[in-house]
Amino acid sequence: MSLEVKNISKTFQLSRKQRKLNSTDEKKKTAVNDISFTAFPGEIFGLLGPNGAGKTTALRIISTLIKPDSGDVIVGGSSVKDDSYDVRSKIGFLTSELKLEDHFTPNYLFKYFGRLHGLEDDKIMERKEVLFDRFGINPFAEVKVGDLSTGMKQKTSIAISLVHNPDFIIFDEPTNGLDVLTARSVTDYLLELKEQQKTVILSTHILSVVEKLCDRVGIIINGKLKVSDSMDNVMKESNNDLEELFFKLIEEEELGGFRQ
Amino acid sequence: MKNILTIFKKEFYRVMSDRRLIFTAIILPGLAIYLMYSILGNAATGMETDIDSHKMIIYTENMPTEFRNVVNLQFDDNPEFHDISESTFDEVSLMIKDGDVDIFLSFEENFMDRLDEYEQAGYSLPNIQTYYNNSERYSSASLNKVNQFINAFMFMEGLERYGEAYTILSMNADTDGFPTSIEYENKGIGQGFAMLLPMLIVMFLFSGAMSIGPDSIAGEKERGTIATLLITPVKRSQIAIGKVFSLSLISLMSATSSFIGVMFSIGNLVNMGDAAGDINPLDIYTITDFLMLFAVILGTVMVVVGLISVISAYAKSIKEAGMLIMPFYFISIFVGISTMFSGEASQSLVSYLIPIYSSVNMIIAILTFEVVGTHFLIMVLSSLGYLVLLIFVLNKLFQSEKIMFSK
Repeated sequence: MSLEVKNISKTFQLSRKQRKLNSTDEKKKTAVNDISFTAFPGEIFGLLGPNGAGKTTALRIISTLIKPDSGDVIVGGSSVKDDSYDVRSKIGFLTSELKLEDHFTPNYLFKYFGRLHGLEDDKIMERKEVLFDRFGINPFAEVKVGDLSTGMKQKTSIAISLVHNPDFIIFDEPTNGLDVLTARSVTDYLLELKEQQKTVILSTHILSVVEKLCDRVGIIINGKLKVSDSMDNVMKESNNDLEELFFKLIEEEELGGFRQ
Repeated sequence: MKNILTIFKKEFYRVMSDRRLIFTAIILPGLAIYLMYSILGNAATGMETDIDSHKMIIYTENMPTEFRNVVNLQFDDNPEFHDISESTFDEVSLMIKDGDVDIFLSFEENFMDRLDEYEQAGYSLPNIQTYYNNSERYSSASLNKVNQFINAFMFMEGLERYGEAYTILSMNADTDGFPTSIEYENKGIGQGFAMLLPMLIVMFLFSGAMSIGPDSIAGEKERGTIATLLITPVKRSQIAIGKVFSLSLISLMSATSSFIGVMFSIGNLVNMGDAAGDINPLDIYTITDFLMLFAVILGTVMVVVGLISVISAYAKSIKEAGMLIMPFYFISIFVGISTMFSGEASQSLVSYLIPIYSSVNMIIAILTFEVVGTHFLIMVLSSLGYLVLLIFVLNKLFQSEKIMFSK
């Protein structure tokens, strides 16, 4: 089952303060401009783009947190517009915006979110064993989230976002702010998910992460998807220099040109 | 239903597993009220006892022996009498000013003769002039006491002059000056409660809900934890109901704590130093009265929590939620105060449709034993209606990406 993004667009109203900050008179900003791509099971789709390009907005639309102005996303046959509850039960979403309450322990939150996903207690225990073992959370399972290290917080967030064993996994900048060791354990896990035939979408601004992990890549700049192809094709076209291609695309966009 | 219960339990556990929150939201309100009112009541009683134990120093001029006899025979105060001849008027005035003497009584010369003659043509009643110091509490209190002496003296003189008939004319023929009907007495006490309790109850409910509501919703928005909840396949309406019900239970616990505080200190509060002793509400009201009161409090809690939840969902931060709730808090206190001195519940049906105002009036009706069944029903049902409406609005706010993710 694939995840199909179909011509989604999203425009935000700019407040006076935001207009001043962006030095613009325009009252609206198009964060995502007619984006389409498809992610397949057993593959990692990398959404690459500079900060503020529209990656997070696109992922928020896919995960039903916000609605697109136009277009639709079909997640395993369910539409984000019409069947948002179905979509939520199929996806695991991780972003720095989704936080865990400091007062609770990983144990409590894992059970809480498991129940909200409609899982029975024995199934929750089973999943907890797998994920807590995988991320080494067990020694900290009864420590309040507020007292955990940044890395352990992120690992707990990942475990909780996957409590219901979703088929579609959307991770927004999952290695941000993590040390090399923790970042490595996260990227390794993404490869495991891929092997489990999960459909994975990963957003990042780190080129090396895309090169190492992704099977397909979409490059998003200024709300527009400038490239969407298999990693092999993109590398071929860029003479194995993704960085060069990336800067070329940014330059083109700044000049108002379009890639043919 | 399962999801509502899961959210309800988590929100409840959030407060119950935090010792500081248990103390500030549940124990402190009752404890603070109990201590505050007890100290207030004890201070008033203490002042009264102090005044009672003070030996009055009275300077007199031309005081008839009959007056002194009445004071000595009928009162236990045993004041220290001094004649003005021991000093001068100016000196006594100065002593009253300094608080060394409490009061100066100046009877007209030949007071008793003048009293005998006053009914004859050309004569008038003799005067008693009193000099005291309003800024000295012993002196102020002695004025009241001296008035009692004078009244007793007048009564005895009247009795001597007109016989038994005078007592019928001058006093309530039915009683010895106090109501004898138990019901009547209870209603009087009930009106005393009705003056203070409605405002206090509404204040407690509001402050209880205010101490946790903004953190549970605006706080989750501010900390970014609400999005984690919104990404689960749970209906927004279930989140809204789970949160409102849990907050209601905690607010109810907070209000109950305050209520217990009031009940334990109400004797001191109502009596304010009156020596009549403690008033126990359990002796006056029946189980039905308490159940009705509970239903009204529950209905009010739901409306207040619903309102605070909606405001908290709309606000961007806990601070903003607190600011936006304040005007509603003041309005509710104003509603409580506005009915404070009427002592009676409104008879208009419409009054029982207005949130908070209906609660205040219904509490008064219960406390003064004047509950109208229709009014009670309308109050409870309209509260439920408002709760449904507020949950509907909260659900809409949870669905609004503009509200939920505004920075």
